[in-house]
Amino acid sequence: MKVEYINPFVNATTDVFDTMLSCPLTRGELRLSGQDQPEHDISGVIGLSGDASGLVVVSIDKQVAFQAARVMLCEPISTINADIVDLVGELANMIAGAAKAKLDDFELSVSLPTVIVGTNHVIGFPSNARPICIPFESPWGSLCLEVSLKEHEEPIANQEPAAVA
Amino acid sequence: MIMSAKVLVADDSGTMRKIIIRSLNAVGVTDVTEAADGAEALLKFAEEQFDLVLTDWNMPEKTGLEVIEGIRGQGSKVPIVMITTEAEQRRVLDAIRAGVSDYLVKPFQADQLREKIDKLVSV
Repeated sequence: MKVEYINPFVNATTDVFDTMLSCPLTRGELRLSGQDQPEHDISGVIGLSGDASGLVVVSIDKQVAFQAARVMLCEPISTINADIVDLVGELANMIAGAAKAKLDDFELSVSLPTVIVGTNHVIGFPSNARPICIPFESPWGSLCLEVSLKEHEEPIANQEPAAVA
Repeated sequence: MIMSAKVLVADDSGTMRKIIIRSLNAVGVTDVTEAADGAEALLKFAEEQFDLVLTDWNMPEKTGLEVIEGIRGQGSKVPIVMITTEAEQRRVLDAIRAGVSDYLVKPFQADQLREKIDKLVSV
């Protein structure tokens, strides 16, 4: 995956948190993700397809999710419930959607969000597209964006599909 | 006049529906019907008269684009606002061709949504 594809996702993440949550993010260092394990317990997953394919995973600390619920839903929530799951899915949807608009050459489509909750859950990235991980810090806690995007060099039918486990 | 407007909100995210309804309430609109997918939106639109429709694009069952086409296919001129992450020019053009009245890209400021709602339900 080319590093230049990352900037739209980084910018989309900071923009979504700033616009929807008034929550400033500080970006950490990019790194290649060496494990399948997200660093947090709630992950919003969006599949990307088109002239490239991949996955966007937004993994957030549960305290960040609770504070986001306070702002977006105007409700105090202190347990991971259906509202938190929906909220994390919508955050991932907005981040992936805003980023894909900046990668228009790929004519990407986004999947509906999937949200995974629980410790030690596993995200299966395409084996030919190692994800890049971008950690962020916020006043509410930490989150991590993992992006895997692979340009198609052969017919789509021969590509290995992205999987979520 | 604004307070009597009847609005249909279609979005598969309950979070987004709550945000939109809060903006509607802020401009005095309290008569709101929710739909969690495109098929439900079309079903509810067939059952009742609405003054404004706010719809997401990417939804299960039927997309927001299909919702617009379905509503315009019935000959309705009700104002429809697409609220979506689909920001590419070709997508916006698709929505315009289908008959959308206005377009708001997520993420958005609450003020942006309130302005659009205020403008459309005040006409």
